[in-house]
Amino acid sequence: MIGPSRVAELEMPAAGIETAGSRPAQSYWNESWERLRANRIGMAAGTLILVMAVIAVMAPVFSLVLTHYQPQTINLLETFAKPGAGHLLGSDELGRDTLTRLIWGARVSLGVAFLTVAMSLTLGTTLGMVAGYYGGWIDDVLMRLVDTVLAIPAIFLFILMSILFRPNAFTLAAIIASVGWGTVARLVRGEVLSVKQRDFIVATRSIGARDSRLMVRHLLPNVLPVLIVAASLGVGQIILVEAALDFLGLGIQPPTPSWGNMLTNAQSYFFRSGWLVALPGITIFITVLASNLFGNAIRDAFDPRLKS
Amino acid sequence: MTQPLLQVQDLHTVFSTKEGQVKAVDGVSFELNVGETLGIVGESGCGKSVTALSIMRLQRPGRIVGGKVMFKGQDLTRISEYEMREIRGREIAMIFQDPMTSLNPVYRVGWQVGEPTRVHNGWDAKKAFSSAVSMLGRVGIPSAASRAKDYPHQFSGGMRQRAMIAMGLTTTPHVLIADEPTTALDVTIQAQILDLLRDVNREFGTATILITHNLGVVAGMCQRLIVMYAGKIVEAGPTADVFAHPKHPYTWSLLRSIPRLDAETHEPLKPIEGLPPNLVDLPGGCAFHPRCAFRVEKCSRDVPSLLRVGDTQQAACWVTQSGTELKGG
Repeated sequence: MIGPSRVAELEMPAAGIETAGSRPAQSYWNESWERLRANRIGMAAGTLILVMAVIAVMAPVFSLVLTHYQPQTINLLETFAKPGAGHLLGSDELGRDTLTRLIWGARVSLGVAFLTVAMSLTLGTTLGMVAGYYGGWIDDVLMRLVDTVLAIPAIFLFILMSILFRPNAFTLAAIIASVGWGTVARLVRGEVLSVKQRDFIVATRSIGARDSRLMVRHLLPNVLPVLIVAASLGVGQIILVEAALDFLGLGIQPPTPSWGNMLTNAQSYFFRSGWLVALPGITIFITVLASNLFGNAIRDAFDPRLKS
Repeated sequence: MTQPLLQVQDLHTVFSTKEGQVKAVDGVSFELNVGETLGIVGESGCGKSVTALSIMRLQRPGRIVGGKVMFKGQDLTRISEYEMREIRGREIAMIFQDPMTSLNPVYRVGWQVGEPTRVHNGWDAKKAFSSAVSMLGRVGIPSAASRAKDYPHQFSGGMRQRAMIAMGLTTTPHVLIADEPTTALDVTIQAQILDLLRDVNREFGTATILITHNLGVVAGMCQRLIVMYAGKIVEAGPTADVFAHPKHPYTWSLLRSIPRLDAETHEPLKPIEGLPPNLVDLPGGCAFHPRCAFRVEKCSRDVPSLLRVGDTQQAACWVTQSGTELKGG
């Protein structure tokens, strides 16, 4: 023990001054969460996305309990049914229930979106972190790779890839992520370059921490806010890209329902049964809008650069 | 005489810049004995911090281009990065200037203070945290058990520096390098932190290298002192002797530029004329000669080496080495 009398003498002013005005532990995450919760539109949008996700995951249950139809069951006796008692949101030219297909379509659209975000974040964060942390030739090589990837016209790449690989949710996500990781890597690299300059990084090196510890335990949590923002803003974008690919026939192939290919299918019946076009369109619109609103709310709450 | 704990021999560290090579540390040699407190003094940019970082091999982007750092029979400039990591934090700990930015904002203080024991002793989170709590208590954090759960932004500057010291001590290192530990703190808190460092030195027997630009701090803390100027040691010796009879004009001018309460006459303070030299383009001869009141013709031509002057001191100065006393005003 350090001499007790000395400690007492040295503590008296310290205890009085330094503990005055102490407040309950408010971490960065608590604060951000409080700010997010205060944003009503953002929270509503977030809830909507969450509900959509739950519906997507539980699609088989909804088919059984709510709609009593399977997404691919053809019933030629009930084609072009108007929304009503039998088919809540009507049926298409093969008598398939629109609501059921929208619910199963959510699986594809949201699944691909989340999977793509997960893939491009993982790859982009890893490479961006390595580039920013090590610098030098590693940085040069990785960043030229990013430049190259971002210079490829995405739509042609998508067309080529969907010819080479039979698109399902997984390959589609991989295809979109193969371009998407570039921007994430750039973002993370920039953030790492700035965090790396801060004193606690040298301080952590001075206790004998290895590179992996510095990157995973110290740099990653400090770049996490920008990652969260990038992820939440990315979801809406990817839903649109995926819908566009489906619409062009480059994505999920019929008869598996997706919002995009439901639109393609409905084109021919636009004047006859407008809801077949309107419903998937509105669904895409609402989902993307909610994703973007939620993404903005997340950014306002989490982005450290927006804090004064 | 027992073997010194740490021996720095002819250390050279350079930085490559667009303007040319900067010799931040240019042939620095000194020894640190077991349990002693050594002061390194000098103006900003004279190479104090780079010397400390070079000992820890954390001088990046600078490069160590010559010399040795002997510690426990091995040369720290030559061992592998793996072996060096075992030294950092376990054998030699370091405290930094700005406690406001030296802690990671996203982790609780107790988690960070316990980090060295997780890295070096392989302790689990719980054990490391409880050791951190007891160490925080020992460095004078009130109600350490609850404050350990706080985040760094909830700590005041003085408390953060205490936490940094606690972090350095968790692995009971043999050497503690404190790089301007009080510069960023209020004067009253400075005194507390210095008291704490003195207690740590006594309690744990940790040899301390105290880097500062504040001569007052050195006077109260260090048995021996090194004065650096433009990457070189210009004077070294026991603190009392150096203060009483400085043997280098730079030390002499530094001492005259501090206000003294016991001064008999009310003379104005005498700042050192001129500016510290540009390290890319050092003046020829002794780097201090353009600002020196005692310079002779030889000073601008030949670089003096650090030689014994008087009984206990060493100085790198042609004037005092020839036996002249530094006097006047």
